Amino acid sequence: MAAPSGSLLFAIGVLNAMTPILLTAIGEILAERAGVVNIGLEGIIMLGAMTGVMAAEAAGPWVGLLAGLLTGAALGLLHAVITAYLKGDHIIPGIGINTLALGLVPFMLIVHWHSAGQHQVPSYARVPDIAGYISPVSLTAIALSVIMWYILFRTPWGLVVRSVGENPEAADTVGIHVERVQAIAVVIGASLAGLAGAFMSLDWLGTLTKEIAAGRGFIALALVVFSNWDPLQALGGAALFGFFDTLSIWVKNTTLKQVVPSSLINTLPYVVTLIAVAGVLGRVRPPKHVGVPYKRE
Amino acid sequence: MEALLRFGESIVALIIGLAIGAVILYYAGYSPWEAYYQLFYNAVLDKYGFARSLAEAAPLILTGITFAVGVRAGLFNIGAEGQLYFGALGAAIVAWLAYRMPVLNSPLGTIAAYALGVILASLLALIAAVLKVWRGVHEVVSTIMLNWIAFWIVEFMRIHYLFDPHDATKTIPVPPGARLPILLPDSELSATIIVSVGFALLTYYLLWYTVTGYELRASGLSPKAARYAGMDPNKSIIIAFIVGGVAAGLAGAGEVLGRPPHYAITSGLSNLLNMGFDGITVALIGANHPIGVIFAGILLGVLKSGASYMQIFAGVPLEMVRIIEGIIVIALAVPGTLHMVREYLQRRKKLTQLREQEAGKSHGFEGSGLQPSGAQQQ
Amino acid sequence: MSGRPAPRVSMRGIVKIYPDGTVALRGVNLDVYPGEILGLLGENGAGKTTLMKILAGFLRPTAGRIIYEGHPVHFRSAAEALERGIGMVHQHLALVPVFTAYENIILGLPPSIIAGARKRIEKLMDETGLHVDLDQIVELLSFGERQRVEILRMLFRNVKVLILDEPTTNLTPVETEELFKALVKLKKQGKSIIFITHKLREVLEIADRIVVMRRGRVVGEVPRSVAEPRLLARMMVGREVLFKIEKPRTTPGQVVLKVEDLWVRRDIGTWGVKGVSFEVREGEIFGVAGVEGNGQAELVEAITGLRAPERGKIFLLGRDITGLGPAELYRMGLAHIPEDRRGTGLVLEMSVVENSILGMHRWERFAKGFFGVIDWRAAEEHAAEIVRKYDVVAPGLHSPVKHLSGGNQQKLLVGREISKNPKLIVAAQPTRGLDVAATEYIRRLLVRLRNEGHAVLLVSSDTDEVLQLSDRVAIMYKGEFVAITRPEELSREKLGLYMGGAAATA
Repeated sequence: MAAPSGSLLFAIGVLNAMTPILLTAIGEILAERAGVVNIGLEGIIMLGAMTGVMAAEAAGPWVGLLAGLLTGAALGLLHAVITAYLKGDHIIPGIGINTLALGLVPFMLIVHWHSAGQHQVPSYARVPDIAGYISPVSLTAIALSVIMWYILFRTPWGLVVRSVGENPEAADTVGIHVERVQAIAVVIGASLAGLAGAFMSLDWLGTLTKEIAAGRGFIALALVVFSNWDPLQALGGAALFGFFDTLSIWVKNTTLKQVVPSSLINTLPYVVTLIAVAGVLGRVRPPKHVGVPYKRE
Repeated sequence: MEALLRFGESIVALIIGLAIGAVILYYAGYSPWEAYYQLFYNAVLDKYGFARSLAEAAPLILTGITFAVGVRAGLFNIGAEGQLYFGALGAAIVAWLAYRMPVLNSPLGTIAAYALGVILASLLALIAAVLKVWRGVHEVVSTIMLNWIAFWIVEFMRIHYLFDPHDATKTIPVPPGARLPILLPDSELSATIIVSVGFALLTYYLLWYTVTGYELRASGLSPKAARYAGMDPNKSIIIAFIVGGVAAGLAGAGEVLGRPPHYAITSGLSNLLNMGFDGITVALIGANHPIGVIFAGILLGVLKSGASYMQIFAGVPLEMVRIIEGIIVIALAVPGTLHMVREYLQRRKKLTQLREQEAGKSHGFEGSGLQPSGAQQQ
Repeated sequence: MSGRPAPRVSMRGIVKIYPDGTVALRGVNLDVYPGEILGLLGENGAGKTTLMKILAGFLRPTAGRIIYEGHPVHFRSAAEALERGIGMVHQHLALVPVFTAYENIILGLPPSIIAGARKRIEKLMDETGLHVDLDQIVELLSFGERQRVEILRMLFRNVKVLILDEPTTNLTPVETEELFKALVKLKKQGKSIIFITHKLREVLEIADRIVVMRRGRVVGEVPRSVAEPRLLARMMVGREVLFKIEKPRTTPGQVVLKVEDLWVRRDIGTWGVKGVSFEVREGEIFGVAGVEGNGQAELVEAITGLRAPERGKIFLLGRDITGLGPAELYRMGLAHIPEDRRGTGLVLEMSVVENSILGMHRWERFAKGFFGVIDWRAAEEHAAEIVRKYDVVAPGLHSPVKHLSGGNQQKLLVGREISKNPKLIVAAQPTRGLDVAATEYIRRLLVRLRNEGHAVLLVSSDTDEVLQLSDRVAIMYKGEFVAITRPEELSREKLGLYMGGAAATA
């Protein structure tokens, strides 16, 4: 098979770059539609990446991906208990999870892999790509954005979830179990973030580093706003961010590098995010009760 | 009473953090007793160790103030990280200038470095403030993005303009005449701790003894009441961001001006990393009160400095402390509900009291029921 | 009593005491029969909504029991009551605004019921005459249409008891007619309908039986054949005067507040105040009576600088203050006792001292020097004086205000406002939610202020209060002053009629 062309490689790069952001954003859209904000996505991505590698090295890449998913689910459950059931603040537990991950990942790198900065994932643990280039996780992510859209907007359960985020009192009145719906949404959402992390370490990058998430959890949060809490629109937004992410890597490898310094290129994804979120005010409509703990009389 | 409760919550959270940390240590093959002993003994009881703890605490107190002031105004300003980088950048720029302008190799240079650092940091904070007030951008997202942007801008400056010709991995060190005085000879502790504690006290004064601080606190606690009282909550938001930026700027500049052995910004900003985020932990443990932040900052300084001793003597990786920090923050997110449980029980008690009161009233309950049809009530 | 079927619902000895000590219901008995429309009549605070919320499972009674279809019931939630067949349509509708009507109706139902739901809903619409565009987003529906969605939602779940809380508040006359027609049809199907209202004409039109409540008790029950407006008005408003307050005759002085043709919009865009004009003079209490929701809140907000009017002017001592903000108004001598004392008038987490200077914190008395340093000693003295003068019971000057009882919070607030030595005092619902002692205290205080020559604008939905305290009173209905007169010239019946919109504009 002939080597793929440069532009095809670029497109695949975009696909890879957008996958973790897309997965995380889809999950967070579900959670926020139910009214819960999860700031800890960054930490969940990191921890999913870590447990993914641990499991994959023991039992293969698919188990690794599953481990990432379950790690996300467990952390999501913790967040759900604190926010939905105990009516705690939505933002502080997330900061705690992020901090915890920032410590646990390098810690385990040393303790488990005896490596100071990064660990190369052995090839037997890596997720096999279709035709060697396209990741099944990427395809799953794209499919999920359609599926999640369908669930949220075309099924009765999606209606229930959205009612909880828009008007929990109304939902309560018709017998909907507000806390339970929120917990399910958060757990599913966090699982996708954990999967995103595992994808990054086991598939796309093939390594586990201390800084593996590099702000993607927060970019996903911005993407949720930017896509107006619509999983299909998130597809477009994720592609946009993936484009800039890949562009910055690409530019660094070409002659442009002499003209534009790589460190400034690195700011590109973040600047774009900032502009996108700032420009979108007034044209997006968050779920009315997002981020507000639901307290009964 | 409230303060005592809150202090207790922080202690509980600390204990939980250490306890779970101990479990992790055990399963990772370390001895928790040995690890914690080395951590606390060296960081607290040893003169040089404690000096190091204070040196670590200095920037954390300031970044803790950044977050705490934000919370008091009703925000979540987690941009101390980036603002701190810009603070350091300011000092590094002045250091660079000092080699061309010898007049800066003096306390004048120190002041100039702090000033520039504070200005740059505040500008960064102002971006987040304006985005929030004008475009409604939630500060959690904007400040994180700005953190990363600031990181790369400072790296850019370090690599291309401010590098030390003798050692390209860092910026030009601050000339000796502009450095902050060392408080304990042969230690890392410089006057940065004085700047930090001083600014924290100043913030305390600002928040509780000035009109600006009063309005800031009121806007954070009740925007409706603030408007009723003729205040403009947006003004308080911007002020909170600026004060936070100044604090983080002082922290960053201080690390360059007052931290041996480098007196510079190192490659990958490694000597500055995570000081902003640690400030969040400090603020939370310190109940978002400047005095609490001072103590919490010292506590975290002890943990961080102790971590290196723990690494040297017990072989435990440094990042263990961050794990403990994370658990403490998660634990702090929960105990607030202990408060709620207490409130609920209080309400129940009052209810029963009132029921007994009403039941004891002389005329009891009128069985004001149905009238036979046709009767009129007078 | 023979020949009458057993009641569907029997409530006995219902007591409700709120956590903060307010007694809402003092032992109420009520029966509801199948196939009837029961009118529950009373003023604000009478307890009608509270009673029905208990029946529909939204609140738990402090004491008493409910028997439904022959069995005692203890509803733990509104959902449980709904499942058993008791549903309530609130004044503020519990719909999800961004969903369509259809989505709101089927919300929360299992998929097996949702299959074929559309047809059944359409049939329901035909049967009752309550038509609505099922695919329209609720936010864009008129109030009447939204109400129909809520009613359909209940009917679709086969409620047997349908409770409507002030359903005609925002309906056009035509929509009201259609609603009544639908209710009669439902009654004929055997459903029990409870119609909560303060509007006399309507309850006479629609109800088979009218139960009148006042101050947490049932005052009496009247079948339609016997009921007529004056009788009901008298029952609603009551004859006893709770407190007799001495009000010496005064001669009002110069005009302090002048409102000219004021038009104010609500947040949602409709008109809250429609062309109101009046004056308040020194040494008088000008009262604004009327059931809450007729524009009083917007009127107060416009006068106190919290909401800019669309049209018209406001003058304070001759100066045009239209559109000025609270800070300036306070300096000019305005005091505002807001209706939401906990959320707006006080910062609950702050201390007594800190709250005592709220609104005055920039004044030279308390803020010294260029940097605005607060002189806490002056503030403490100020707070101590208020506490002493107005008998505020607090654990300490530095304890958070949230630890004070409602009455003491209000006394602190009122004391603070009066300490501004104001020219005009605007008091909105000043005794709402307070116990008897605090209520009396505040009322005496307002009269004393009037005697001392201040101008007082009193807005209250407590008619006893307004009539007793005011020198002149205006009754507000749907954004307009339907009458401005002296309380002596206003009989109880006339007042009830004005408030219920039943009398022609004077």
